[in-house]
Amino acid sequence: MSEIIRVIDSTEEISALATELRETVSASEIATNAILDRFEAWGAALGERETADIPGVQFLRMWVRRGTLDPIIARELGRNALCGGWMEDGHARLKAYPLGIVGHWPAGNIEIQPALSMTCALLGGNASLVRVPSGLDELTRLIMGKLEQSDSAGVLTGRVRMLVFDHTRKDLQEAMARSVDGAMIWGGEEAVLNVRGLPFPHWARLAIFGPRISIAAMDADSWSDTEGQESWCRRIARDVWQFDQQACSSPQVLFLEKKAGHSSQEFVQSLKKAFESENQLHPRPTIHAGLTTVICQARASWLLDNAANSAVFTQGPDWTILLGSGSEIPKPTQGKTLAVLEVDDLLDPIGKLDGNVQTLGLAMADSTREIKLASLAARRGVDRIVKLGRMHVFVPPWDGVDLIRPMVRMVRHVPSTD
Amino acid sequence: MDEIGQRIDQLLAIPPYGLPPEERQAALLGLLKDELEDASSRNAGYRNYIAHWPVPPRSASRISDLPYLPVGLLKAQPPLSLVEAQEIKRVLTSSSTTGQMPSRITLDSPTARRMTKGVVAIAQDFIGSSRRPYLIVDVPGSTRGGPELGARGAAIQGLHPFANEASYCLELDQNGDLTLDRDKLRRFAESQGSSSVLIYGFTYILWKYLVKPLMAENISLGMPDVHILHSGGWKLLQDEAVDKKSFNDGVARVFGCSADRVIDFYGMVENVGVIYPDCPEGNKHVPAFADVLVRNPLTLEPVSEGEQGIVQVCSVLPTSFPGNLLLTEDIAEIVSYDGCRCGRRGTCFRFVGRVAKSELRGCGNIDRKRQQAA
Repeated sequence: MSEIIRVIDSTEEISALATELRETVSASEIATNAILDRFEAWGAALGERETADIPGVQFLRMWVRRGTLDPIIARELGRNALCGGWMEDGHARLKAYPLGIVGHWPAGNIEIQPALSMTCALLGGNASLVRVPSGLDELTRLIMGKLEQSDSAGVLTGRVRMLVFDHTRKDLQEAMARSVDGAMIWGGEEAVLNVRGLPFPHWARLAIFGPRISIAAMDADSWSDTEGQESWCRRIARDVWQFDQQACSSPQVLFLEKKAGHSSQEFVQSLKKAFESENQLHPRPTIHAGLTTVICQARASWLLDNAANSAVFTQGPDWTILLGSGSEIPKPTQGKTLAVLEVDDLLDPIGKLDGNVQTLGLAMADSTREIKLASLAARRGVDRIVKLGRMHVFVPPWDGVDLIRPMVRMVRHVPSTD
Repeated sequence: MDEIGQRIDQLLAIPPYGLPPEERQAALLGLLKDELEDASSRNAGYRNYIAHWPVPPRSASRISDLPYLPVGLLKAQPPLSLVEAQEIKRVLTSSSTTGQMPSRITLDSPTARRMTKGVVAIAQDFIGSSRRPYLIVDVPGSTRGGPELGARGAAIQGLHPFANEASYCLELDQNGDLTLDRDKLRRFAESQGSSSVLIYGFTYILWKYLVKPLMAENISLGMPDVHILHSGGWKLLQDEAVDKKSFNDGVARVFGCSADRVIDFYGMVENVGVIYPDCPEGNKHVPAFADVLVRNPLTLEPVSEGEQGIVQVCSVLPTSFPGNLLLTEDIAEIVSYDGCRCGRRGTCFRFVGRVAKSELRGCGNIDRKRQQAA
């Protein structure tokens, strides 16, 4: 029975766990290289049968690779951070130290998020208290089981406690908040507001990753290029499929810039093929009945509300392409429902964005226009502008925020002998 | 349309639960296809929807392949209609929770007439065809409201063909709250005694304002030949931990009848003219002019016997709005596709509950309940 994940019923249990973790963090530093070695082993173990098919696990495996994390640590904490050294800063020296205990409130719809959020805090040398959302406890247990297997000395697992309790237990939520020095909060608007309102210590630092949506856009020469079309469609399908289109980085709408003499219908047929083959490779194992009804409703209202709209969809709720025109983002449906909207100029929809859009996935044949579009998107609140097919690649800054640095303190030492 | 109307009337005229499933399927499939074609010629948006359906309706070999409309689309304002404004005789409105739009169902004369016929054909199979005193556990204003009629009013009015006189036993107190008019109820019980009587009330209202208080006082009204019909759902009663058996026992005790005289029926305003009363086996049945499909949420294919899924109601009755094939937001279980021990032929099912709302996720909701995963 794993010691990492515990069902909690009293505030005293949380306090006791926090005390234990705080002693561990204070007792010794943990070298970043030691963390990365264990992460490498964990990534390999996650590829085993029990965990390989958990949604997002392949992504988590990529994230914990040294090749991914080395440059991120160097950028966020400085080049010497990997070997635990201090950085020279004029007459002073700087080094990242952990905040202490970081509390994690992950989203309930991303299976790997309890573990993913925890990795960010661990990389800063912190201990973690993670509230595991109901419904994710079994999968998280499997994922964390692989960490225990790869870290038999408990170097990392000794710094992590995962807590399972009902989200309505305000006393337990409050006890957890009181015990931490920082928090990583992920979720929908209501959830984020609730957690943010908990009684954290006044020094606690909060990193909030709230509910946002993402969009995609292609300029006229990209989508109308018959040679590249298939590849772009595969990339779009991949971005739509991951996390059942429910992540903040999932595209909900694709804007296509009109091109004289080219019909977007042909592109949609190519997109249809890509969706069909992605669906064959990664069929949905289960669905919430509420999502099924929402998908059916989105299809019907799209076609009923405007007789000029068209759509392609399966008999089941597997996937849906809604085709129309206009520069407004339609109400997102999720569940692999992509609205494809033709526009005269991509600057029109991008110019209307507000802070709700996190990621803009792009396919632009004209790099000069891409720079112009990216600048406009950034001014309109977009935090990530990436190539289509890479919308979920988890590289910080995420939501415009670094992932490790917010949970460390940069300690400055000016030698007295100077 | 006349030809379609005649075919609908033919189905309305036959015994509602006598057709073997294959015969019912054959009769309904052809008629529904014609109705879809007719409806799409009257509404451009609906035509667009049908044109994009993955299976062309004309080539469909099963009712389950025909294009269905999610019931939420009937919340459109102005209402989705297939007839001109001057032909609309009445607009039915569904009950809706606070902040939500109700469905608005436009009825022309032929559809309204069929609605009455449909309810009568079904109800008389359960309570007989005679007219009798009708006591409504509600306030007298429930069926008023000009050209618009709510769900409670529609249910009350649907049973009027079985009444030779109707009276109401609730009233509004000074605060505007419902309260039982005990004198009126007592007089009704004394005057009707052991004669055949029909009583109808919304499930929760019947329980809260009549059965619960009289049960607490150990009162029995002594009406052994009564039929008590009720509808409207169990959610509020479940909140009070009242299950169907204790409800039926309580109602039977108060009215002094056997529990099999208490009949729960499932119905929705959008499914005009079709109600689904419980048979003595506790199952709901589908009449000859309608069908019920229960679809697996993962595939949207009809489920097997014993499985649960999203309810789709099908009815040939409406021609004034696109309500022939409606995907509801309810969950039911198919008990069997034929052979209920009560003797009624065709599909029988049990209502399970409402589809839990699916909220839009950002990077998620903190607690995603993974219930109802297929």
